[in-house]
Amino acid sequence: MKRAALRKLVRLQLSRDRRGAFSSSFGIAIGVASLVFFVALGLGVGRVVREKIFPVDTRLVDVVPSQLAIGLFGGKLDQDAVDRLARLPGVQRAYRKMNVRVPAVSFYDGDFFGRRLRMGIEVLAVGVDPDFVRADVQLGDFSDPGVGKPIPVVAASRLIEIYNKSFAPARSLPQLSATMLVGFSFPVDWNRSFVASVAPGKVTSSQLQVVGVSDRGLLAGVTVPLAVAVRLNQEANVDAATFTGVALQAASPSDIPAIVAAVKDMGLRIDDQERRMSENAGAAVAITTSAMALLSALICLLAAFNIAHALSAAVRARERELGVMRAVGASRADIFRLVLAEAVVLGLGGGLLGTITAILAALGVDMLAGHVLPEFPFKPDTFFLVPAWLPLLGVALGVLAAVAGAWLPARRASRIDPARVLAGQGA
Amino acid sequence: MISVEGVSRGYDDGARGTVRVLDGVKLEVAKGEFVAIVGRSGTGKSTLLHVLGGLDTGFTGEVTVAGTKLSKLKDGALSRFRNESVGFVFQSFHLVQGLSALENVMLPAAFAAGEGGGEAQAREALTRVGLGDKALRLPSQLSGGERQRVAIARALFNRPQVLLCDEPTGNLDAQTADEVIALFKSLNAQGLTIIAVTHEDRLREAAGRVVSLTDGRLST
Repeated sequence: MKRAALRKLVRLQLSRDRRGAFSSSFGIAIGVASLVFFVALGLGVGRVVREKIFPVDTRLVDVVPSQLAIGLFGGKLDQDAVDRLARLPGVQRAYRKMNVRVPAVSFYDGDFFGRRLRMGIEVLAVGVDPDFVRADVQLGDFSDPGVGKPIPVVAASRLIEIYNKSFAPARSLPQLSATMLVGFSFPVDWNRSFVASVAPGKVTSSQLQVVGVSDRGLLAGVTVPLAVAVRLNQEANVDAATFTGVALQAASPSDIPAIVAAVKDMGLRIDDQERRMSENAGAAVAITTSAMALLSALICLLAAFNIAHALSAAVRARERELGVMRAVGASRADIFRLVLAEAVVLGLGGGLLGTITAILAALGVDMLAGHVLPEFPFKPDTFFLVPAWLPLLGVALGVLAAVAGAWLPARRASRIDPARVLAGQGA
Repeated sequence: MISVEGVSRGYDDGARGTVRVLDGVKLEVAKGEFVAIVGRSGTGKSTLLHVLGGLDTGFTGEVTVAGTKLSKLKDGALSRFRNESVGFVFQSFHLVQGLSALENVMLPAAFAAGEGGGEAQAREALTRVGLGDKALRLPSQLSGGERQRVAIARALFNRPQVLLCDEPTGNLDAQTADEVIALFKSLNAQGLTIIAVTHEDRLREAAGRVVSLTDGRLST
């Protein structure tokens, strides 16, 4: 069948029954709009969970000592164990971590970005191999500066988010950005605590200077160079030989299962609490999104039934016309294609309308959320993520639903007996 | 041009079993003949016409039209045969509402295997039936006779070798019917083979040969 003629006949049929065509397309548009909206919402919320709340590096495995480790029977995370971990197949790098095992507090009394701040706070610190956070260091060299000099620290980006969205508004303190914070110094007293018992040794003081902000920074504390943690622990006569953890960087995410198995064989544990929380939150979002997508698919299915019903009626009403087409040379396949083409146009129209509606609705929700919802940690600028494939999926789903609905009516139309309908015996 | 040999056609009629409409029909039609098929209602005249035009394939026997053996053809080839070799004219005109006279005439081109005829050919067909000035009118803007002439132009569009007419004057008043019959005679005089099923005496008289269908069998 000629394309120009096909276009003309499709246009003719759709213009004859504008109301029916609109009704069929509208049903599809609702289903597609709902699907695109909820999938975009799921992807957007999932991105926030993945990138902001629980930023998990898929190539990192956190190894910690076994709680049941006894002496030589494994589980101790010393330099020998780290060397063995670094040699495991698939491991690219091993980053050591050691808690500063000395309690510390900070008393701050001074200018804090234009506001007067007086505060006393317990400080937790972990030392890491500098390369672990080096990409996020913006000031100086992330290494031990030696006694009496400001210690470089990296703050956690999530800590800044929580401060900005909950602590700062509650205390009328300024909003901070990573750039503002770099260079900020504050005092710390080591071997001092508001809550924990301290070692018999003396209290020493030093300055901590923020040199960067990182997703890899300790959430409830500061991250210092590993050498600083070792030095502070040695000065306080506490364990400065074993590590709190080791972050193994795999060559590829596909190497992770084998690395995890090998680590367990060594009598060590995997700290996957953060990863599991991320996975659980991601799964919750995925399940909710899937449920809504399923509901949307059901709406599309109903729309397909609606189209099937409408096209069946239209085919019955046009039996003689289709019979004439057969008489002048249309094959069964031509008639089948003609009815299907009508459905494709309906589906295309519904798919486009639905996709545009969903994107406009998403913009509306974002705008409304910006004005109505209070600020909270990790509140995103947009709750939606619309990758390029999503509008295409929406339009494709619209066409698919329409074609599925049109299949049987098209088949029925192609099987009309022209001799019967043209002899005047047709319905 | 047309050879029908031992053609039978039956229909399943529920409790009555199979009703045989055509029973070993034999017919030979030469090129350029104008044949009228007559008979009482329900004797199978239209069925025979549909068999000749490749619209009805449920028959037994041999049918050859313009050198094509219809019993051997599958749907695609039969469609092509209908598109290229025969033209149909029906009692109820069967024009597509919403398409102009010109577009109705060009309808076969939509399904042509090759390029098919163009607009010029459609205008020529309309001129041939005396409607050259009404090409852009919709069927609803034409009289009954004009609609039937558009249907004839559509049948002539692809320059078929055989024109098959099923009660072509059945829905026309006497004067319009005379005009259509005159048109058929003119087309036949130009060499077109015409087979018309009719109850109309004047059409029967216009035909060069009249065959009668009774109890599923043809007689001259």
